[in-house]
This record gives sequence, C-alpha cells and structure tokens, in this order.
Amino acid sequence: MIGIMQVRLSGFGGQGVVLAGLLLGQAGVFDGKYISGSNSYGAQARGSGCKSEVVFSDSPVDFPHLTTADILIAMSQGAYDIYCTDVREESGLILYDQAVVTPREGLTVKHIDLPVTEVSVRRLKSKQAANIVYLGALIESTRIVTTGSIRKAITMHVGERFRSLNLKALRAGMDLGRKVHG
Amino acid sequence: MPSRWAKSPFPKGRYYFSGNEAAAEGAIAAGCRFYSGYPITPSSELMERMAVRLRKVGGIFIQMEDEIASICAVLGASWAGAKAMTATSGPGFSLMQEGIGYAAFTETPCVIVDVQRAGPCTGQATKVGSGDILQARYGSHGDYQVIALSPWSSQEMYDLTLRAFNLSEQYRVPVMVMADEAVGHLRETIEVAPRIEVWDRKKEKGAAPFDIEGQDSVPPMPSFGEGERLSVTGSTHDGYGFRKTDDPEIQARLVGRINRKILDHKRSIIETESHFMEEAEIAVIAYGFTARTGLFVVNRLRKEGKNVGMLRLKTLWPFPDEAVAEAGRKVKKIMVPEMNLGQVAGEVKKYVPCDVISLSQTNGEVIGPEKILETLKKI
Amino acid sequence: MARALAKYIRPGVKDTPFCPGCGHGILMGLILRAIDDLKMDMKRMLFVSGIGCAAWIPSPHYNGDTLHTLHGRALAFATGAKLFNPDLCVMVVSGDGDLSSIGGNHLIHAARRNIDLKVICANNMIYGMTGGQVASTTPRGSKTSTTGEGNPYHPFDLCKLVEGAGATYVARFSVTQPVSLIQSIKKMLLHKGFSFIEVLSPCPTQFGRRNRLDRPDEMVKDLIRRCILEEEAEGLTEEQRAEKIITGEFLS
Repeated sequence: MIGIMQVRLSGFGGQGVVLAGLLLGQAGVFDGKYISGSNSYGAQARGSGCKSEVVFSDSPVDFPHLTTADILIAMSQGAYDIYCTDVREESGLILYDQAVVTPREGLTVKHIDLPVTEVSVRRLKSKQAANIVYLGALIESTRIVTTGSIRKAITMHVGERFRSLNLKALRAGMDLGRKVHG
Repeated sequence: MPSRWAKSPFPKGRYYFSGNEAAAEGAIAAGCRFYSGYPITPSSELMERMAVRLRKVGGIFIQMEDEIASICAVLGASWAGAKAMTATSGPGFSLMQEGIGYAAFTETPCVIVDVQRAGPCTGQATKVGSGDILQARYGSHGDYQVIALSPWSSQEMYDLTLRAFNLSEQYRVPVMVMADEAVGHLRETIEVAPRIEVWDRKKEKGAAPFDIEGQDSVPPMPSFGEGERLSVTGSTHDGYGFRKTDDPEIQARLVGRINRKILDHKRSIIETESHFMEEAEIAVIAYGFTARTGLFVVNRLRKEGKNVGMLRLKTLWPFPDEAVAEAGRKVKKIMVPEMNLGQVAGEVKKYVPCDVISLSQTNGEVIGPEKILETLKKI
Repeated sequence: MARALAKYIRPGVKDTPFCPGCGHGILMGLILRAIDDLKMDMKRMLFVSGIGCAAWIPSPHYNGDTLHTLHGRALAFATGAKLFNPDLCVMVVSGDGDLSSIGGNHLIHAARRNIDLKVICANNMIYGMTGGQVASTTPRGSKTSTTGEGNPYHPFDLCKLVEGAGATYVARFSVTQPVSLIQSIKKMLLHKGFSFIEVLSPCPTQFGRRNRLDRPDEMVKDLIRRCILEEEAEGLTEEQRAEKIITGEFLS
C-alpha cells in the first residue's frame, strides 16, 4: 500500500458497521499505520443509514475524514445507493452481496459480489456476523491489514461471548475472499 | 515552581483512541484523581472512560445530578487536594459558568473539557460546532482570565488535556480544553511518551493562599485537612480569605492580580504552530478540527506554487495576540475558517492591519476542503 | 459567647455579622458547644456553606477549614471534598433558601446518596440577606416583600423531604430549644451518613417586622410557644396543631 487508503463501511444501524471499522483501524495501528477513523454517531448508528470510515496512511494523516473512498463495503441497498458514486474511478473497489444489493448499471468501478449473507447464515448460523465476514474478505483480497493484527484487534475489542464467533466469521470471510480472487 | 517527571501510566507505544478516550487518558496521566460529571452528547464517552479508569487507579468518580453540581463537586474536591475535572458540551458548559467564575476568583485548579456541538440551545446534539469559544472566555460575570486550549487530533486530546492539568496547577486557574464533536469522536493513532512532565500545586505552610507579592503572582495552595484552617470564599477576600466586600482597594487588587497572573505569563502559556508562513501572502488562521482541513488545503495549494500559509492556534485564551499580529504584518490577507459566526475572526481583527476574511459555517458539519479551497481561490 | 469556646473562633474574627435578635448567633454558639462536648479536632473539620445570612455562621468565623461557596451549591462542593478526602468531617451550614430552593435538587440527591455529610439548615422562613422575599419555607399566609397579601403557597416540610429522599438522621429543633439542639448536633456528628437538622431561627428584621412580631423578643416567645415535641401534639385538635411546629428527632 502506498500513501493513503480510504475505506468506507456502510449499512444500516445494528449490522456492526461501527465495530468493523473499529477493528480495521485498530489492526492498522497494530501494523504501524497512521489511522484516522470516524463513524456515524447517535441515532444514525442505531437505526437508519450507518457508516464507518477508516483512513490509512504511512505518515500522520492530514485531513482525517474520507474524501473519496478507495474501497466501499455496502451492506444494504440504501447505503450502496448513497455511496456507490463516491468511489475512486480506476482503482476503486466495491464489496457487496447480490442477495441484498442490486448494483447500479453503468458504473465502471470494480464490483465484487460476495455471498456474505449465505455464508453467515449457513456456515456461522448468525446474520450478525456478516460485518466480520466482509472484513475477512476485504483483508484477503486487499491485504490492507495483516491477519495477525486483525485477530489481535478482535481479541482486544470483542467481548468473550462473541469472540470465537467473530474469529470464525473472519476465517469464513477470508475463505470467501480467496475464492473470489482465486 | 514544582514540576517533576513521571512515568506514563501507559506503556510507551501507539494506541487507537477516540479523542474523548484520549482526553480521559491524558487526564489520568496528569494525575487527575477526581471526576464528576453529567451525561451529555457528544462528550459522554469521556465520562464513561473516566468511570472505568478512576476505579482502576484508586480515584473518585461520581455522576452528579446536573452540570452545576458537577463543576461544584470538582471545585470541592480540588480544595480537598485533588486534581479534578469534568467534561461537558454546550448546554452543560452554559450551566457551569458560575462555577467557572468561582474557580477563577478563588484560584481553584480544575479542568473542563468542552466537546462542542452545534448550538445555540439544544441545537444539533450529535453534530459539530465551535460556538463556545467566546463563552469560554466571557461566560461568567466579572473580569477574570481563563486558559483555553484547542486540540485538532486524538493525539492532542491526550497531550492538551495533560497540559491543561499542568497549567491549571501551575497558575491556579480553570483550564478548558475546547474540543469539538469531530475531534472528540475521531479515532486516531496516538503515541504515548514513556515519561511525562507533571506540575503539582505549590505548598507553603502558613503562607497566605490568596495573595502574593513577588514574581509569579500565583500564591501557594494548601488543601483542606492539612491544618491550615483555610477560609475560602467566592466573595472578595484578602490574602487569608477573609471577606472584604466593602473594601475598594482589596477588590481592585484581587481582580487585578487574577488577571495579571495569566496575562503576565502568556508567553509561556500560548502555543501556536506555523506552516509555510515564510513568504506567504495569504494566511489561514485556524484551530480545532477546522485546522486539519485548513492545513490539508494549504499543503495542496503550496504544491501548486501558491503562497499560502497557516497559523494554527493551539491556545485560544489568553489570545495569541503576538503571533497573530506577526502573521498580520507578513501577509496581505488572512482567512479564518470556523464553525461559528466569526468568534475568533473578530479577535484576529483586533491585532492585524490587513484584511480578515471570516469563513463561517454553522450547519452542524465540519468545514470540508472544497469550501476552504473555493474561498481561498476567490481571494 | 463563653470564653471556653474562643479557641473555636478563627483568630482575627471580632464580631458576628448578624442583626440584633437574629437566631443565627445562638446557633453559631450551639454548634461549637456540641463540637466542644465531643472534643472534635477542628483541623479535621470542614464547614461548607452557600450564600445568605446562615452561610456566614461558619465562614469565616469557625477555626477549621471553611468553604463559602455559590448560592445553593454548598452540598455539591461538600460532596466533592468529602468523597476525595473521607477523613474530613464535613458539616454544611446554610439557610433554607440556599439549601431547599436554589439548592433543592442538590439536597434531595445528597440525601439519596447518603454521603456522610452533616447538614444544618438554619430556617428563618424568609430570604433575609436580600430583603425579606418569600421562601420555599415561608408559612402560607405570611407577609414578605414579595407577598404583600400573604404567601399563597404551602411551604416545604424539609424534614419530610430529606427523609423521603433517603437521609438517615433527621431532626428539627428551634434555637429556643438549646439543650435538645446541642444533643441533636452531637448525635449528628457521630452519625455516619447523610444527616439533617432543620433549625428554626428567628429573623426579626425581615420576617418579624412584616408579620406583627415587631420586637426580637416577640419572635423568640412565639417560637417557644409554637415549638412542641411530637408527643405533645398528640391530644391537639387539627386547628391547634396547625399553628404549632413539631420538633424532635424524626429519624435516628
């Protein structure tokens, strides 16, 4: 990764968008990156549209909010519709799941369809784990953070009750990422 | 004056804290052992972290019935010997003003973190603003001085909260950390130094705790229970705290000193940061989150060969008059972007001969790069 | 004041600031007698007060630590000091307006927390210092500078209020009952938890003048006549009871 990388995770409140952003940023810090993270706050984070943004940099971040996304994770149609046009044209990447999001026609940005919902329900028996499945797929396909760091971040920020589910979800996501890539 | 080097309570290294969490850690590092507060968006995470951290380090945390009680409990604890703090946002900051005046007049060290939100009134509780800058300076009645600092990152929420405690102990004055929602919720890499400089209030048995002749105008401060038989009052008082509510000379002298002790030391209190100010023809003067946007734009314009510089105000009160005046002598125009209707722009105008353009935004959003770029290009 | 109590007075204090006939001077002495009886260490005592005549009872007169605070906020300051240094014996002495009107919210919350604070509320049923305005404790019908036709509202029963909020020692006495009051203050000093004594104190200057008790001694006599113990009130008719003030220990 060179210079700055801007990631936007989006969905609706309750999907774990904020937690996923926190884990991604924390992993970046473990990797020695300079991180600026911000997310929806208040009522937004609880119900309607919700986003979490993480800026990665090799040097201290000047403007800490996201200007144009290099990567967008869209966990709902609503979030996709709002943010799909704000992704860098040539090098940008949108991760989505066809089961919940219908991509817009005519967009040139690279889209990766990931059956995250199916994997969450079938393999993990929990829709709640979709956020971490996305993280796993993102990390596998972009190497934005190291596997060791994201595992460390999960151990640090996720309570004991859900830790093993989240680590399983991470593995499932990485498998998914490998499949798509491979 | 007593300052010492202490080991940081955190192992040296990099951490990922939100601004509000970082401020709590800075307070703990500075030796804060008392927090009283009342929940208010967007500052509550700071209080929640203090509740956890103070229990761990053997300090006292209490959630009070309102913000008035919160600041008053802080002041009571401070006189009992604590480094004490509270945090709040606009509406709570308004309620605290009488207590802040009490702290200034009785020279009680205390730290208040104001995580500013979009006002006036209840306004937009979850949205950003910086409309409390003049209130920080003038919010309580009468003539007094405070110190107010302006962090622009999570790192500075840590650093400046720590410094706020040091300044408060050193000068026996309320110190405010004028954060904003954007900085309070910004989660960033922060670096913790292994050793930190910590100031403690000076003690001198039997000395008058409210008057002083000589160099620094800051009297020593005993605590309750030390056998000093303190008399503390918010009424006009003499050196030993006797009420003197009819004595014009003592009133004038006390008001004079509590102002002078800050203004005489403003060169050691004030911190500013210059970026590309050599050969600059236009200067951006900014503070808080907006300075992040400001520098981002200035960097970009410099690369395009434009003679633009930036002066960042890390201290807002006492106002950095000399640094601003110097910038004003160098450049042809100054632009002040801020999330209020020109509160600092008005101050800047007092000290510079050149044009001052106020870029105001009060819509509850941070000022983005495009807006500053556009305004600078027009100039 | 008896010579034996002089050591409790801060050097440099020459006289009291109270009006002739004010009950606060009596209370000022009675608190010290209780402290003297118990041989309390004044170096460990912190007296906190708000704003108003009663707030001047301890500040700066008592020779311990005194903290004269903002109007209504004595209990919040006291809470901070006591929590940070639990070795302090923290006594709050302030007036009815200060503690129960502008400071009413702090009063019920301090009682709820049952923090070890010894609270003496000098109740003169009026705002004395500011010129005799109606208080939250002014009896219904009484005249004040803001209720020329008589106070239309019911007053607080402060003892019931703090008891309901969670105080663990509650009493009411008048400065005309000095022996009982000293005993009560001593119990309060030994009690651990939020303790509250309402002390009725005459204000001839602002209250008496407006309510046909022109001379200080008339106010004192009126209090002596009206203050009765709970058991003395038992046989009284509703009407007789209405003009009495029930005193005693309500919770100990």
